[in-house]
Amino acid sequence: MAKKLNITNNIRTLRFFANEMTQQELAEKVGASRQTIVAVEAGKYFPSLELAFRIALAFGVKIQEVFDCEAEGDK
Amino acid sequence: MSYQEKRTFFSIVTGILILVAYITYVVQKYQAGNLLAEDVKFWAGVILVFIGIGIAVNIVGQIVFHVLLAIQIAIKKKIENNDASDQAIEKSINHEMITDEMDDLIELKAMRLGFVISGIGFVTGLFMLVFDYSVVMMLHVVFIAFSLGSVCEGFLQLYYYRKGVQ
Repeated sequence: MAKKLNITNNIRTLRFFANEMTQQELAEKVGASRQTIVAVEAGKYFPSLELAFRIALAFGVKIQEVFDCEAEGDK
Repeated sequence: MSYQEKRTFFSIVTGILILVAYITYVVQKYQAGNLLAEDVKFWAGVILVFIGIGIAVNIVGQIVFHVLLAIQIAIKKKIENNDASDQAIEKSINHEMITDEMDDLIELKAMRLGFVISGIGFVTGLFMLVFDYSVVMMLHVVFIAFSLGSVCEGFLQLYYYRKGVQ
């Protein structure tokens, strides 16, 4: 059976380095609601591939720099 | 409370109001010992009227809710920045009321619960017919199950907005 993936993100850090971009600003840039950005940042919602790419594009980085994952039990 | 939560909360309130109004009406009819109480045609008409009322209340309510919310956002924006242009206010209203993929996912997941509850109600209604209850009782059960399903759907949506959805 496939191991469960533990997906994490660096959105908070990236927002900080993007001149303290607010969640609302990021939401407007990617065409999502602030509620969705809040949920993604808190790991309560895993975005679609499209939204994930949009978030990465909003920060001008590669998607791997925004999202990371490891299989549970690794490490 | 976000726009999505407020909207869902409003749907729950209207759903509960319709459900309570219907149950109250049914109980009153039965308590009055009205001969119409076992008339299938009469109750089918009543249910159709309640469905119509439910749709109308929901549509009018949503319009009023969105107008009030837009006013609230506009006032908030004006207080924050007195020089804010109409375009800027309109933009912030549009951004506040945006629905996206997470809303769609939550709606779909919650709708599943609504269908399950409605389905259980329908099957219960069929069992009631098998066990010699009247068709009218079946209609009540089915209508209440559908309304309850809709209300539970709203509560599940609120839960997902708070706890997140995977």
